[in-house]
Amino acid sequence: MSENGNNDNGREPILRIRNLTKTYMQGKIPVHALNDVSFEVKKGELISIVGPSGSGKSTLLSMIGLLDRPTGGSVFIEGKEITKANEGEAPKIRREKIGFVFQHFNLLPSLTAFENVDIAMRFSGIPRSRRKERATELLTQIGLGDRLKHRPSELSGGQQQRVSIARAMANHPAIILADEPTGAVDTKTREIIVGILKELSEKGQTILVVTHDMEVAGQTDRIITMRDGRIARDTESDMK
Amino acid sequence: MFDLIIRSLTQRKMRTGLTIFGIALGIFAVVVMDGMSEHMNLVVDRSLKLMADNIQVQPDGTLGGIGSLDESKVRQVKRVPGVQDAHGVLIASLDPEGGGGFGGGDMVFGVLPEKQLKDAKLAAGRYLVPGDGYRAVIGSSIARKFNLKVGDELEIKSKRMQRTSSITSTRNVSVVGILEYTGSIFDSAVQMPLDRAQKFYGMENTVSFIYAKPAPGADPEELAKRIELSVEKVKSESPDTLRKMFQGQLVIFSLITISAAMLAAIIGGLSVMNTMLMSVSERTKEFGLLKALGAERKSILFMTMGEAAFMGVIGGIAGIAAGWITVYFLNSVFLSSQGSALFSITPRLAAVALLFAMVLGIVCGTYPAYRATKMSPMEALRYE
Repeated sequence: MSENGNNDNGREPILRIRNLTKTYMQGKIPVHALNDVSFEVKKGELISIVGPSGSGKSTLLSMIGLLDRPTGGSVFIEGKEITKANEGEAPKIRREKIGFVFQHFNLLPSLTAFENVDIAMRFSGIPRSRRKERATELLTQIGLGDRLKHRPSELSGGQQQRVSIARAMANHPAIILADEPTGAVDTKTREIIVGILKELSEKGQTILVVTHDMEVAGQTDRIITMRDGRIARDTESDMK
Repeated sequence: MFDLIIRSLTQRKMRTGLTIFGIALGIFAVVVMDGMSEHMNLVVDRSLKLMADNIQVQPDGTLGGIGSLDESKVRQVKRVPGVQDAHGVLIASLDPEGGGGFGGGDMVFGVLPEKQLKDAKLAAGRYLVPGDGYRAVIGSSIARKFNLKVGDELEIKSKRMQRTSSITSTRNVSVVGILEYTGSIFDSAVQMPLDRAQKFYGMENTVSFIYAKPAPGADPEELAKRIELSVEKVKSESPDTLRKMFQGQLVIFSLITISAAMLAAIIGGLSVMNTMLMSVSERTKEFGLLKALGAERKSILFMTMGEAAFMGVIGGIAGIAAGWITVYFLNSVFLSSQGSALFSITPRLAAVALLFAMVLGIVCGTYPAYRATKMSPMEALRYE
């Protein structure tokens, strides 16, 4: 591994984090979940964020994904500060700039694989014909072309996570935020998921993966290690 | 979005079904109870229309019931300037022992043959003519109830108190005419010559009401006041006052029936709220996910309120259908036993009931929907 605090490889940063802090009150005691976190991400980078439980990995992802608001600092996506977005602007940013992949997939159980991908595009007002085309294309790309009409209960964990990745991709987001995407699947499926993420990254998709699994982290372009709400180390992976 | 609403509702079939049943029950009560009130309104409305623009004169101090006036008052009323014509009517119960039943029961109207109700068309036979003895023109409900045709005999009864005992006398009258259905009190009326009615009921030279017809151009309100001033111990009501009086009484009846029905409907509405609260609580994670996917608050609001409104509409339609079937069945029972219907489901009532069901659904779905939109997406996603 090599130290890579600046990541100056010629590409423009798609994501900039500046002095991000998040403080929760636990009773009367302030807990600094994030403490002055700053880093940049270039377009197409596949980055893993690792660290022990409670180190602030998921909190960081929530701030970038506008699922929660920071106490201080800024997040810029494609040069625009999203931390200043109000309640009315936040949904638009979430659907246009960010794609989420969750550990437990979070697919809607009553919808088919196709509909679970389709629903992400509905809120963007994309016409039905284009949504159909895009959802079918994405699911086919990840090898689920023959599972379009299957409900989550009829799919394996790995297949569900692939649907979840297709859903995250649906609106051509600037960044995909994946929170423990391999946390609920077996080793073989883990390799498939990581493979898909790597492939997407190679095509120019920026992806941030929170993971406990160093095998997964080792296959990413860069590893950010967090400890006590701070970045303890930011290194380029040489195992990819 | 509509397909998502349907999907969500069909996913919880039992709960959705029970909630719709609750609403349907409430709307059923609204339809049946208001159907009764609506029918009463229609009867009064049509009855007043048939009475035309006559001023009703009755003994002073009569409160709602039937009093008695000396027939000489008819002449006095006729002499009041502005009165074109006046005639007396004697009203008695067809069966004094039988009780009133719904809508006041069957009545005998003693009328002058030349003043009888001719706005109602004859279904069979003829109207009364001067010189008719114990002959009668009967309403459609009377004909149906007693299964009478022209030429048949109808028994009328009178009950008179003598010292401490009452004497009931009976007499048959021949049916010479049957009126078409009017939807008014005249469907339950027997019209017979005034003189014979006075004789039979032992009320010679007595009438219950005097009907005064205003001369062209005369203001009925002013004329009613003039009659009261000119003729002693009478009070008179113009057609408008009469209408208001009846409507006032009907408002109380309507209030009672509508309140009972509303109570039932509100209970149905609370079941919607309960269902929606449970649904929102169960779907916390789902709403969090939708927000993470970029759903706006209004989309979540639309989905949850849409579910509530949809259950309201379906419940409303089911309630109206069940109410209509029940009313149809009850009306046929009442028609065969009492000779008249008891309920009317008008398009207005059906529209109001449906609108009420939908509004009830939306109103009761508002709070759960608000709770769904208030959740922070992160908290919602972590919710177990």
